Amino acid sequence: MSMGKEELFQERLNRYTTALKGGKPDKVPIRLQLSEFMAAYAGIKLQDIYYDLDNNIAAVDKILTDFDMDVCGGAPSLWWAGLHDAVGAKYLKFAGRELEENRQFQYVEEDYMKADDYDAFIADPTKWILEAYLPRIHEEFAEPGSYRANLALIKGTAAMMMANGASQQAGAHWAKDFGMPLSIAGISKAPFDTLGDTLRGLKGIMMDLRKRPDKVLAATEMLVGHNIFYGMATAGGDTTLPCFMPLHRGSFPFLNPTQWDTFYWPSLKAVIEGMWKLGKQTMFYAEGNWTPYLEKIAELPDHSIVFHADQTDMAKAKEVLGGRFCLSGNVPNTLLAYGKPAEVKEYVKRLLHDNAVDGAFIIDSAGVMQTDVKAENVFALIEAAREFGTY
Amino acid sequence: MATLTDELASAIAELEDEKVLDLVQTRLDSGTSPLEIVGNLQQGMTEVGMRFEAGTYFLSELVMCGEIMKDAMNILEPHLAGEDQKHRGSIVIGTVKGDVHDLGKNIVVMLLKGAGYNVIDLGIDVRGEKFIDAIRANEAPLVGMSVLLTACQEGMKGIIEEIRAAGLDTRVVIGGNYVDESVRDYVKADYFAHNASDAVKIADEIFVH
Repeated sequence: MSMGKEELFQERLNRYTTALKGGKPDKVPIRLQLSEFMAAYAGIKLQDIYYDLDNNIAAVDKILTDFDMDVCGGAPSLWWAGLHDAVGAKYLKFAGRELEENRQFQYVEEDYMKADDYDAFIADPTKWILEAYLPRIHEEFAEPGSYRANLALIKGTAAMMMANGASQQAGAHWAKDFGMPLSIAGISKAPFDTLGDTLRGLKGIMMDLRKRPDKVLAATEMLVGHNIFYGMATAGGDTTLPCFMPLHRGSFPFLNPTQWDTFYWPSLKAVIEGMWKLGKQTMFYAEGNWTPYLEKIAELPDHSIVFHADQTDMAKAKEVLGGRFCLSGNVPNTLLAYGKPAEVKEYVKRLLHDNAVDGAFIIDSAGVMQTDVKAENVFALIEAAREFGTY
Repeated sequence: MATLTDELASAIAELEDEKVLDLVQTRLDSGTSPLEIVGNLQQGMTEVGMRFEAGTYFLSELVMCGEIMKDAMNILEPHLAGEDQKHRGSIVIGTVKGDVHDLGKNIVVMLLKGAGYNVIDLGIDVRGEKFIDAIRANEAPLVGMSVLLTACQEGMKGIIEEIRAAGLDTRVVIGGNYVDESVRDYVKADYFAHNASDAVKIADEIFVH
């Protein structure tokens, strides 16, 4: 690592972690969830991002060359489509295969776990996943123990190792050649979301709340330990950077207040507190609107989360959580797609004025960006963040 | 909140699934007209929509109500064949090309049906051509378009252009998590709905005139 890049890396990382811990760095850190926008900006088709790990990384290189940011969230594609093809995944659709060459990937939500699976799942989740769930959602595992299924396990494992290896190498390359730290280490979920997004689907989980509330509660309680472990394991034990936690079914108005208090919050709180005991902060990525729940969120230990606002009332978030937690957000994605650079600058100026004066603030878009975002607006965001966000 | 005198309407509003299905079956057996039973179910659903708007019901209750309605309609549908179902007007709805998200759209469909509209649900990943054919076939004064992925908003704009180019002046309402005034203006829609009950209000406005 040349000295210049290494110093730059340390300066940026220090700026970011100072804000994460509630402090006031030299400048407001810039963290942008650019996602598929990176592919569009680099002129690479989405099918090439999903299927070719080198293209996925090259898109980031182009962004890091042109945009002044402090941390980077990784490559545009979360998934390597080749891995999912190797195991015949039924729950994801990719450009170049099921979708047109330049379409965003899609998750196909179903109740892949059935209501009568609860007991087996709660008793031994790993066994249930291996024997019942994986065969159900992957064509290649349809007959467990068969030649084809065994081969698919080997292909899937090898592909996972290749994808993880490529990500690790990419992280080292961005640090060395661009002086760019990553924004997160590890990923986990709220136990209710593990159950409600991935396993039972929206309809399934909403019916369960009425038909079998005890099972929902038992399953979310069982998932607490698993989700803490998953967060730490996917971070490789790192405690410098926060664990990314995209939050879904707890956003307003999915659940009524009693359901939220009973089924969503206790197990999520336990996961966050469990990781915090191990020194790991959570990036509370609150997709949608979480305004009614801010008082509950304030029960968490100081600095155990970074609260990321999407459509949560920013002023209220500042009032309730400010001073005890770092906040991040919330330049609207529609403004970045349809607004003019002058409007973006004005928004950023006001956002920083209202939220960043005492530090403990990171600027970001409200939600994950896609190909509709205009590059000129991203430049305007960065320019304004530097102009009005230098202490 | 309205007081529902009919037992079936009230059971829907209170989301008592087993009671609803029992009552539907009992009434059918005792010779009540299936259309009258549908009317009572709609009354109950309208109340559910009002409770959602008032903030006493949440999406969890709307999803539950949708499931109960689906089960009730499964019992009723064989008896409805050939009946002249009156409705307040036709609305075409679908998730636009490139997007497969339909949880929000399905809730809107349920509330619109509950409010007495004839809803033609085109499903997901719907192209302009399909919207146009359905608008023409049903002479629909209103079309609803759902989009979650922001990258598919551009496609929505294209669909609205196609509808206009086909000479149709159907009103267009759009909805989705990342939909607001700026998206409405960009795609040249007539309205945007922030939630499912907004969509019903917009429909009521259009069909009154």
